[in-house]
Amino acid sequence: MEKVCVLGAGSTKYGKLPDSIADITTQASVAAIESAGISPKDIKASYISNVFGVADKQVHIGPVLMSRLGISDKPSLTIESACGSGSVSFREAYANVAAGFYDCLLVTGVEKVTHTGTEWTTTYFAYCSDFFYEGQAGASFPGLFASMARAYLTEFGATEEDFAQVAVKNHDNGVLNPKAHMQKKITIDDVMKSAVVASPLKLYDCCPFSDGASSVILCSEKFAKEHGGDYVEVIGSGRGGSPAALQGREHMTTIPSTKLAAADAYKMAGITAKDVDFAEVHDCFTIAEVVDTEDLGFFEKGQGIQAVREGRTKLNSDISINPSGGLKSKGHPIGATGVGQVVEVYDQLTGKAGARTVKDAKIGLTHNFGATGASCAVHIFQSV
Amino acid sequence: MSIEQQVIERAKEGKLLTHKCTSCGFLHLSTAYFCAKCGSKGFEDVLLDGVGSIATYTIITVAPSGFEKYTPYAFVVMAVDNSELRISGFMEGIATPADLPVGTRAKITGFDERGILIQKQ
Repeated sequence: MEKVCVLGAGSTKYGKLPDSIADITTQASVAAIESAGISPKDIKASYISNVFGVADKQVHIGPVLMSRLGISDKPSLTIESACGSGSVSFREAYANVAAGFYDCLLVTGVEKVTHTGTEWTTTYFAYCSDFFYEGQAGASFPGLFASMARAYLTEFGATEEDFAQVAVKNHDNGVLNPKAHMQKKITIDDVMKSAVVASPLKLYDCCPFSDGASSVILCSEKFAKEHGGDYVEVIGSGRGGSPAALQGREHMTTIPSTKLAAADAYKMAGITAKDVDFAEVHDCFTIAEVVDTEDLGFFEKGQGIQAVREGRTKLNSDISINPSGGLKSKGHPIGATGVGQVVEVYDQLTGKAGARTVKDAKIGLTHNFGATGASCAVHIFQSV
Repeated sequence: MSIEQQVIERAKEGKLLTHKCTSCGFLHLSTAYFCAKCGSKGFEDVLLDGVGSIATYTIITVAPSGFEKYTPYAFVVMAVDNSELRISGFMEGIATPADLPVGTRAKITGFDERGILIQKQ
């Protein structure tokens, strides 16, 4: 297999964006191309992750993007894997470079949904569940994660205030990220007093619906060396699956696909969880970050909440979790999220993360899943 | 009748239709087409009483389209008696966590535009 590198990365700001889905897709892609110092003509194909293009009247975004980049003759592929679309798209691109099919690919994720309003997004996001059993019975996505939260509260004696600390920590990080959707410090009291969305989760336990696009250039090590510029190496890539519905899982406080993807990625990288300096994890809800940090092996099952209480996941503590602000504060433009995590890792490992820099970081991990973790991808990166 | 339609008809009778693997005996919800344990395709239908206890749940106040008029309601996951299976569904009339401690006894009572209906016993 070829060694695979990330040669450049770029993002739009996340939030409520006025520009069209085609515009923001292109803006992020151009930023990545310029960051890599390459010409669009160097790109052999693109992988686009997007879920609700229909909301902005544009599906089949790939050829639109390629046309705008002046490379309409190059192929593109759009990938949907719910909220995990970005990392799955990255994985497919990774596999193609590793196999030697292509030496340079563009991976761009995008979503444009905020103009549709809360009812539309709540309704359509629920279509990512196992609809016959879940969405059809009135389950929303906050509701499904709230069901996991209820189980965690019951099983491990956590409190709702403990979950609130995750939100406070991620907002502390997001304030340092100029591209974050919610650049605002919050307090535990703010979280506890926010409106209940799906008990026990309140508004500030939930990530926002965001617009945004993120993009990276993925290439062979040979290509990276020839084209100069800063790059990081992808040293691990893993995927896994879980029963689509929560009811299919023996334990409601763990996500099987995370464990499977992480085991694959750690094995490929030849490292363990202890070697990871920082991680961008899928914190669509505060409970998710706690479960993720356990399933990724950073903490024992049931101990993730204690780590939060002790501040061990804050920026530059034991392990910096979501230095970007995570989905919670940076925002969650569904199809872009998994690619945006890679942008953050690239920025961190190439000294471009500014005030939120994780000190002396050499190894970063991304963890992104679809729905309630029915699909998942984990990637591990190393500075060179 | 499609598999989903069979589940619906049985739910209306308060029952849960399941598939038992004829090779290894592993029990699945009836929407399984291959055994998750041994991979074989042969199943026999087993009809369980739709009763059990609440494994976990949420009370939804911000609802998807069509459910606004039912808020607050619970989406529940129920552990089914005499099996390792769980089934999820809609439960009306739940306003606070005090109304539904984990472990509360419950039963399937029907199916309508709110999916599989589950009520406290």
